[in-house]
Amino acid sequence: MTATDTAPTAPRRAGMMRRRPFFTLASLVALGFVACAIFAPQIAPYPPTLQSIDAMMQPPSAAHPMGTDSYGMDILSRVIHGARYALLIGLSSVLIGAAGGLVLGLVAGLSAGWVEWVMLRLIDSILALPSLILAVAFIAILGQGVDKVILAVGLSLIGPFARTVRADVLQVKVQLFVEAAGLMAIPRLAVIRRHILPNVIFPLCVQITIRISEAILVSSSLSFLGIGVTPPTPDWGLMISEGRGFVSFAAWMSGMPGIALATLLIALAIVGDGIREEFDPKLRTGR
Amino acid sequence: MLAQLTAKVLQTAVVLLIVSVASFSLLKLAPGDPVTLMLGSEYSQDTYDDLTRQLGLDRPVPEQYVTWLGDFVSGDWGQTYASRTDIFTFIVTEALPVTLTLTFFAILLALGVGVPLGVLSAVKKDSAWDVAAAVFALTGTAFPSFFLGILLIWFLAVKLGAFPVMGFVAPWQDPWGGLYHMVLPSLTLSTYFIGMIVRMTRATMVEVLEQPYIAAARARGEPEWRVIWVHGVRNILMPLVTIVGLQLGGILQGAVLTETVFSLPGLGQMLTGAVLGREYGLVQAGVMLTATLFILVNLLVDLSYPLLDPRLRPRS
Amino acid sequence: MANGMIDHKAILASRLAAQLGRRSLLKGFGAAGLLAAGGGLLPGEAKAQQAGHLKIAALKHIDTLDPHFTFFLSAVQVINNIHNGLLKIVYNGETVTFEPDLAETWDLEDEVTHVFKLRPNVKFHDGTPCDAEAVKFSLMRVKTGTPASPHAWKLALLNEVEIVDPLTVKLHFEKPYAFLPVALNGSTGRAGTIVSPAAVEKYGADYGRNPVGTGPFKFVSWKENDAIELEANPDYFEPGLPKVEKVSFMFVDEASTAVAALVSGQIHGMNDCPMQLVQQVKNIPSVTLYGEIEGNYTYVGMNTRKAPFDDVNLRRAVAFAINRDTVIKQAYFGLAQEAYTPISPPMSGYFDPDIATSGRGHFFDLEKAKEFRAKAANQDPIEVTYLMTERNAIGTRVAQTVAPMLAEIGITVKLELIEPAAWVQRMKEGNFEMLDFDWVADLDPEETLYPEFRSDGSWNYWGWVSTKFDELCAQASVELDVEKRAAMYHEAEDLLMDEAPIAMMCHLPIYKVLSKKVEGFEYVPCDLMNLHTVSLA
Repeated sequence: MTATDTAPTAPRRAGMMRRRPFFTLASLVALGFVACAIFAPQIAPYPPTLQSIDAMMQPPSAAHPMGTDSYGMDILSRVIHGARYALLIGLSSVLIGAAGGLVLGLVAGLSAGWVEWVMLRLIDSILALPSLILAVAFIAILGQGVDKVILAVGLSLIGPFARTVRADVLQVKVQLFVEAAGLMAIPRLAVIRRHILPNVIFPLCVQITIRISEAILVSSSLSFLGIGVTPPTPDWGLMISEGRGFVSFAAWMSGMPGIALATLLIALAIVGDGIREEFDPKLRTGR
Repeated sequence: MLAQLTAKVLQTAVVLLIVSVASFSLLKLAPGDPVTLMLGSEYSQDTYDDLTRQLGLDRPVPEQYVTWLGDFVSGDWGQTYASRTDIFTFIVTEALPVTLTLTFFAILLALGVGVPLGVLSAVKKDSAWDVAAAVFALTGTAFPSFFLGILLIWFLAVKLGAFPVMGFVAPWQDPWGGLYHMVLPSLTLSTYFIGMIVRMTRATMVEVLEQPYIAAARARGEPEWRVIWVHGVRNILMPLVTIVGLQLGGILQGAVLTETVFSLPGLGQMLTGAVLGREYGLVQAGVMLTATLFILVNLLVDLSYPLLDPRLRPRS
Repeated sequence: MANGMIDHKAILASRLAAQLGRRSLLKGFGAAGLLAAGGGLLPGEAKAQQAGHLKIAALKHIDTLDPHFTFFLSAVQVINNIHNGLLKIVYNGETVTFEPDLAETWDLEDEVTHVFKLRPNVKFHDGTPCDAEAVKFSLMRVKTGTPASPHAWKLALLNEVEIVDPLTVKLHFEKPYAFLPVALNGSTGRAGTIVSPAAVEKYGADYGRNPVGTGPFKFVSWKENDAIELEANPDYFEPGLPKVEKVSFMFVDEASTAVAALVSGQIHGMNDCPMQLVQQVKNIPSVTLYGEIEGNYTYVGMNTRKAPFDDVNLRRAVAFAINRDTVIKQAYFGLAQEAYTPISPPMSGYFDPDIATSGRGHFFDLEKAKEFRAKAANQDPIEVTYLMTERNAIGTRVAQTVAPMLAEIGITVKLELIEPAAWVQRMKEGNFEMLDFDWVADLDPEETLYPEFRSDGSWNYWGWVSTKFDELCAQASVELDVEKRAAMYHEAEDLLMDEAPIAMMCHLPIYKVLSKKVEGFEYVPCDLMNLHTVSLA
């Protein structure tokens, strides 16, 4: 968005950090969350599920900088450990969605005739089912828990990924080098591996960074609706949901995880947006 | 033209068929059944068997599906199991208008905020304004709507007493009351749209401002506000309409949470409740309706796609 | 017994009074004083002047407004405002009694024959008369109607409904049926509620969406996920009532949203108050919280049919390992009362006021728990799965609080959260190891023990079998002497507690919330929300 690059060149990319102060800031924030996730047990002052009957619903204090919840669990520790679950769920489910989308999109993009027709209708159908509803249905079948949420969110993301992959495949397919390869009777799989995949994977990676925040949002929404991960897992959506009954006199209970969730999502969105603008070939040629 | 139309209709029918089979089998795969839920905790096996038979749930699943499909196509959408609500009335005349109203106001709000912001960023490209607008837009898109809804309720409705907390009043019956009740929910839902509209507006506007007719208008000595707000904005209307349409297609996504937090009797709340309550008929009808909506809107978007993306326009 | 000299009704009344008593005298006097004062202020009006639109948030599920088919007390709250029964539940602040409602008098001709004389000139909302025919129709609809009413068992002993004249009915029973008033008014279905035969004829199975009764309010509309609307019945038979013009039960899934709406004055009350919100509600100066401990109990249930809880010593260990103080503080926000056995405090005559010191039942004693654990067949660390669901407001709180306690006796608890439909299914199929559950709204020890734990009972999800228990309960149900009956139930309870298919937890208060603008609400501790006496300031 701050890009002035009417003619972007490789050397200029090195200066991305400087040209995009918000991107830089957001990356730092995101990295901070990643650090929290990795070193959670070392950073967090208490174990995330340690209950204390003597310290229920305490406001922020020196001992509990973000206060405690209705079980006397330390919210700071839970927020720090929560980063782990947010990123784990976000990343894994997006990878599942991307993998599924890649396969479906490739098949749809490369096939012809009735196979293509059927594949397209299949993708249309997945897209036509509202994804949150889809996730709810998957949860109903699979049960609840971190692994189930990852799977449910991942499955519900397949549709959008498949659509973009297919569009990319179609774009690559009409390009000369693929046609030429086809004419030279190079085996189909080799063509896919050598020419099509590399051209599809890159925009897919960009898509992945953008969609991580969406996946985290969907998973925390599921927890909010009471059909996500299992308490007392320190999941932000769950913490917001648990704390919402106490908003008027213990606002920190849902406020702290809410701020953490919003901050991470915004940071990830800015990072994803920056990466897209910087690397997405479509956007570059469009300018 | 006729052949194209037939093809489209056929495609739509197949998609709807796949959607209906998928949602029916997904729901049937899920453990739990409506009868167990209806009976609460106090019941005997006889009562259970009796009710199951009455509702036709003792028959094989494929048979149930075929029966449902036949009834549905012939216009008999049936009743919910527990409260015996007429499904058609519930969905089409009660839930759908709520969600449409909510989405309408949310989009209106998003346009009202998003378009000026987007135009401003395009005009003052790369300025602090531009950056601020971009960050604002991203924040809006990324901010979890259920958390925002809770915050709005407690600060604007309870602490300040400025707005009602919950409930739906039909604006066509009581315009002021309707509007008043819609403020917070549509604000909550609109943040999700604002980001998209700002970005869209900015991108198209930047391009439009480089067009010869803008330069021509300036050369004619027209005032700058006219150049931008009349000549400029006129040219981004079509893509805007399209993105609004696209969002309408995905209407349920954000609506589920907003409806839950503000206790609005809309489609989103209805559908999640129906899935959890194993109201097979209700889920089926709801899914078919949203899918049809989605397909229709996509068709319109397809038709206007060249207008949305200038790159697809024939270049001279 | 057959000499006709015995006043059966007096026996019945004393027995029920004994069962349902135990309310503080002070409170009773307070309420009576208020009533008297209110009576003095009332103008001698012939017809009620209704004003105001009362809005109540309905937080709990409402399945149908058909009194003979509902499974939910939250539905009965609405049904009771539309319909009347032969009898009604009255609470004077001290005891709960059953008094004639649509009936003018209620007498026992002999021990198996109840005579009801009906009020004259009572009409249903559709204009048809509420007479002996309508009473017979309603009772037979419960007993033998098609589709079968799930509450038919409550009238299983009813042999015949005899119409003596248009305003007199006689109910002939097979055996003395002292449980009748509870059967007519108790638990979820209202077997003694009178519905309009013409309306049942007209709407058939859809009566539940078009209820027509004789009550203070007429049904107007029911919009799913939105609201049930009622309006005042100007021809209601109690003079001067009702006092409000319109009532809306507004469906609100989000309890915290309802509280916010209550604070901002958008609604006037809630038909329930989830415990985590009680403190918050108490802090709102403009509302009154109603609620007392009712006839209910919560517990952790264990599946006795399979390992590891087929081992009685392991179950006993669990029963004594749970620190109830902590559970009450953390899971129930300090609002519940420790339960040693199932019989609840309101069931006086049966509830032992000294239960806490009697040594009976379950309580926290870690030493004892460890002794039992040492006797268990499996001495290795045991891992069990605890099924949770967001079934009600307490949801997963009990499970989360209990799990760390069981670690003390070498049981690692794996918490598994599933959605309600799957949870109910697995509970009923017996596909679980442990879970927490509750039985609510009981008026009598019979209904609090027997159907729940009978060896072949369909509610006995734990698979516990004891023929001795069954025998004791069956004997107690025909015993009229309260002391003897209580002794039998205590013995049955002790058997249950000793083998511990369940680990007792708490008795719960059930709440209602109303704005201070709402005056004249008569609280009845049976989860009722009768609004006929209510007015809006």
